[in-house]
Amino acid sequence: MSATILIAEDHPASLELMRYLLAAHGYRPLIAVDGEAALELARREHPDLIICDLQMPTVDGYGIVTQVRADPRLRHTPLIAVTAFSMQGDREHVLRSGFDGYFSKPIEPETFVRQMESFLPPALRTRRGPGA
Amino acid sequence: MPAPWMAAIPDALVMIDAAGVVRDWSLGAERMYGYAHDEAVGVPLGELIVPAQRLDEQRRLIAQTLQRGAGIFETLRRCKDGSMIHVDISSTVVPSDAADAMRLVLSEKDVTGLKVLRDARSLDARYRELLESTPDGIVMVAETGHILIANSQAERLFGYGPDELLARPVEMLLPERLRGAHRGHRSRYFSLPRTRAMGVGLELFGLRKDGSEFPVEISLSPLRTEELPVVMSAIRDVSERKRFEQALQDKNVELENANRAKDRFLASMSHELRTPLNAVIGFTGTLLMKLPGELNAEQARQLEIVRSNARQLLALINDLLHLARIEAGKVELQLQPTDCAALVAEVVATLRPQAEARQLDLSVRIPRPSLMFRTDARAFSQIVLNLTSNAIKFTERGSVCLQLSETEADGRRQLALSVTDSGPGICQQDMAALFEPFMQGQASRRNREDGTGLGLHLSRKLAELLGGSLTCHSVFGSGSVFTLRLTEA
Repeated sequence: MSATILIAEDHPASLELMRYLLAAHGYRPLIAVDGEAALELARREHPDLIICDLQMPTVDGYGIVTQVRADPRLRHTPLIAVTAFSMQGDREHVLRSGFDGYFSKPIEPETFVRQMESFLPPALRTRRGPGA
Repeated sequence: MPAPWMAAIPDALVMIDAAGVVRDWSLGAERMYGYAHDEAVGVPLGELIVPAQRLDEQRRLIAQTLQRGAGIFETLRRCKDGSMIHVDISSTVVPSDAADAMRLVLSEKDVTGLKVLRDARSLDARYRELLESTPDGIVMVAETGHILIANSQAERLFGYGPDELLARPVEMLLPERLRGAHRGHRSRYFSLPRTRAMGVGLELFGLRKDGSEFPVEISLSPLRTEELPVVMSAIRDVSERKRFEQALQDKNVELENANRAKDRFLASMSHELRTPLNAVIGFTGTLLMKLPGELNAEQARQLEIVRSNARQLLALINDLLHLARIEAGKVELQLQPTDCAALVAEVVATLRPQAEARQLDLSVRIPRPSLMFRTDARAFSQIVLNLTSNAIKFTERGSVCLQLSETEADGRRQLALSVTDSGPGICQQDMAALFEPFMQGQASRRNREDGTGLGLHLSRKLAELLGGSLTCHSVFGSGSVFTLRLTEA
């Protein structure tokens, strides 16, 4: 069974882009447009990976990382920040606050899925190519 | 019990023994010096009313009186409230009941008013002209604290008319709250006079005749004229400067706030520009990856144009933000021993595919595989990357060569990195504005869509940030050499 990946993102086009790419590569995307919804979904569905924007309504990315890391059933879920904040020092700050990875927008569609997969255990990676 | 008329004598009558200890103290002495009879009797005169700098004089007075039976002296006395007065003294030895000791009677008359006026006249004759010629307000003050002379600049400063300050206590030029402390400072100053420069010490304030205060700076210098010690004080109104300092400080705070607002603006702008670009580049990519379905050749060609222009826009945003950070002094350099040869090799490896795609010969000359030099790796790499990708971009055929070399000047190590191309070269009229933003030359107009127009400008800014220089030598029609020179701190 392919991995379930939760995407928390409030910008509709960015959300759709990531959702589309992951689905096209055979993953099961879950979507949330704000932090609270993302946490609720995560607690219910136990995704294999969480991709998370930083600036979001209700609970921002930093709030999500704090709550996920404090939840015994979620704390080992890989958490990736995908953000349009790319000033000097942003990467270090993000990684220090508990994220497993940091990618800045715009994402590269050709490599995005492969980058996300690298945070999944090999058994959960799809062996299918896109659209297959 | 003295007769009533004796109590009316204004002079101070003081009886002391040969050791200088007070034995009797008249009503006149009580009034003149402020010490009551019981406070004074039994206390050595030296501790009571003799200023420190007059103790020797006091000992001579006693010795001479004992020797000659009587004497006449002029000296300075310190009253209980700290004020100083000039006195004329007649002294006499009187018989004593006590067989063991001599007694001296001192009759002391306050002549301060007379003496101040006399000294004032003498100083006026000597210094008036000199004092009027200086820009600062100047007052000369006697040991008693009386103003002996004030130049007209000082009178104007404090709002007084000509000679209105003459013979007045100098404390009247100070706000009430500072007067007590000032009297103490003044008497200590006379016992240990030394020059004190302007602006040393505390914030001082002057008091104008109309009661208003103003900040002053005061310099003090002792001036010993014949037998007359005075202190010369130069006074400067610093209201203007204080206002200026305050304004500067306000301006600084304002600038800091503006800077913070600018930082926030830059961060937000970066975020807001990237977000829509994410969708543009992303979905162009998914189409080109043919995820939704096959494309015909023309669709693919046009989508490539969209993608390349979107990336161009992204590069421009990145360069602009980088430039803004440099201009704002926000780029933090980490100067440390850096293997510059390795960095050059890295850049060349990154750009080799581009060079090969254009069938250019990309070569590197490095004196040795590892060349350590103290600099910021990120900035150095960025400059090398900009110069090399420019060279590849603008060279139609031939070669691009990177050369790293080491020299020494004035005992300091220098590093030079040159990027030589066999491109079109830069014509004279483009040369002048080569490093200006958005000033791509004639030759580059054809390749416009490849560059942001900020690369060289940014590179030079970075070179300067590293304490180095970036220069260009070019022969129109046969190629260019860009050279980065760094000097080790």
